[in-house]
Amino acid sequence: MAIKELHKQLSAKEKGAVELTKRYLDRIEKYDKGINSYITVSAEKAIKDAELAQNRIFSGDSGLLTGIPLSIKDNICTLGTRTTCASKMLEDFVPVYNATVVEKLKNSGAVMLGKTNMDEFAMGGSSQTSYFGGVKNPYDLTRVAGGSSGGAAASVAAALCVAALGSDTGGSVRQPAAFCGVTGLKPTYGAVSRYGLIAFASSLDQIGVCGMTAEDCAIILAVICGEDKNDATSSDKAKGNYTELIGMSLKGKKIGIPKEFFGEGVSDEVKTAVMNGAEVYKDAGCELIEVSMPSLKYAVSAYYLISSAEAASNLSRFDGIKYGHRANGETYDDIIKKTRSEGFGDEVKRRIMLGNYALSSGYYDAYYNNANRIRTKIIEEYASIFEKCDVILTPTAPTGAYKIGQQEKDPVRMYLSDICTVTVNIAGLPAISTPCGYDKDGMPIGMSIVGKAFDEANIIAFCDVYEKTFCRKMPKERNSVQ
Amino acid sequence: MADKKLTEHLANLSKLSFTDEELSRVTDEMTDIIALMDMVQEIDRNQNTFTLPAVDYDSLRTDNADKSFDTQEIIRNAKTKTNNAFTVPKVV
Repeated sequence: MAIKELHKQLSAKEKGAVELTKRYLDRIEKYDKGINSYITVSAEKAIKDAELAQNRIFSGDSGLLTGIPLSIKDNICTLGTRTTCASKMLEDFVPVYNATVVEKLKNSGAVMLGKTNMDEFAMGGSSQTSYFGGVKNPYDLTRVAGGSSGGAAASVAAALCVAALGSDTGGSVRQPAAFCGVTGLKPTYGAVSRYGLIAFASSLDQIGVCGMTAEDCAIILAVICGEDKNDATSSDKAKGNYTELIGMSLKGKKIGIPKEFFGEGVSDEVKTAVMNGAEVYKDAGCELIEVSMPSLKYAVSAYYLISSAEAASNLSRFDGIKYGHRANGETYDDIIKKTRSEGFGDEVKRRIMLGNYALSSGYYDAYYNNANRIRTKIIEEYASIFEKCDVILTPTAPTGAYKIGQQEKDPVRMYLSDICTVTVNIAGLPAISTPCGYDKDGMPIGMSIVGKAFDEANIIAFCDVYEKTFCRKMPKERNSVQ
Repeated sequence: MADKKLTEHLANLSKLSFTDEELSRVTDEMTDIIALMDMVQEIDRNQNTFTLPAVDYDSLRTDNADKSFDTQEIIRNAKTKTNNAFTVPKVV
């Protein structure tokens, strides 16, 4: 059920906040053993949150999120509730503060059900690199949920929460949203404070939202966005009502379709589903314009060099001294090496090694600087497209969700599958993914609407128009929670 | 192309250690990954390098001293501690 409808029922006392939370906790107990979307379920805390929310509702002091049960990705710090990043390194780490987004949700009266599973340190596109076991797709438990916010997307798809916070560094909200048949919003870089988000790649990371609809994502974004004194990269441009353009006429609006996003590696089923989506916009009066992003072919390499370089630096803090896993050793250096070798999984180690390669003497200009030159080119190419288009439409992922074990062990193949999403992070733009079809195996296909910086209200309105025409098929686990 | 010497060098920079068997596997993986990264060599080097999106670093807030976290809270997550300090093996 949509957030607005739940809010109405809670406000009209047709439903109690505690009763609603308990129902979701029951569903998690019943269904999540198979899906593994949560690492930690904070049932007692959730019920206390719901009691507080109910008091606010009784006293007439409630907002749209008061009493709404949400999940939080496990790389977002939660005071008193362990935050693991799905890593052995942080298996027992309990933050001493709330991330700004968590504080904002708390102030709005939202209920946190627990912390969702993910790829370790948000590095991956399958949610199979988690130390706590992989996330399974609610549409087919033999398939991946996508990643890295696979737990967030799966928890929404299976109705194990109303909506979820995730994080998106190279597509980590949008791609799992596409794989799990839900809506995923990646806001503009700077729109949402990253304070308390455990850093992976600081110039690319952004907290985002998974929900059942664009409107649900917009409602949550309105609460979590805005400037924050604890994050110098947060912006005062992000504020306002993100649902204000919903219902606007799309007549005469221009949609750019970059031909390179429909090239080799993108399945025919995905191409057809996205172009069918484009036709819906054409019927609504939009003009479809073929555009070009010649630098797309370099995007994956540039993304992995920049993000890994930043990760190598960000993850140097995990030394076993101040917090996290600690190995025994004779010397300081011995302790650090053993701690990191035992605490990090294979993919995290690969990214740190690649990052140090890109930053090391003799390779810096050839790799790191060139990656940043490509970043500049991509930013310029997006700016050029937005001179003639209101939004851009692309596939979210080259294929639907694949079988667990099919490709996660092949790093290069995994990296290449990020081709449709990474440019948005490279350019710091907002994008929203919504289901636009199903493949021959019945798995959801997603399309992404990309907007200009801080133009979230516009892409949300575009997405809403499509969602009102599209008939979703839900996974069988998504039974009624009314 | 990566070889064992380069992988060992990167492991050292990364504060990671690998067994001989792991080192062979990681070297093969790094070879494939670096081959993919080599695509960035094709870019025109006259292009500007750094363009950071959407962030105005010229308007940073004033730096004000503020109350921070309680020391006991901060060291709570450390595996070894003495009084109000993290403990490490003797360095010098």
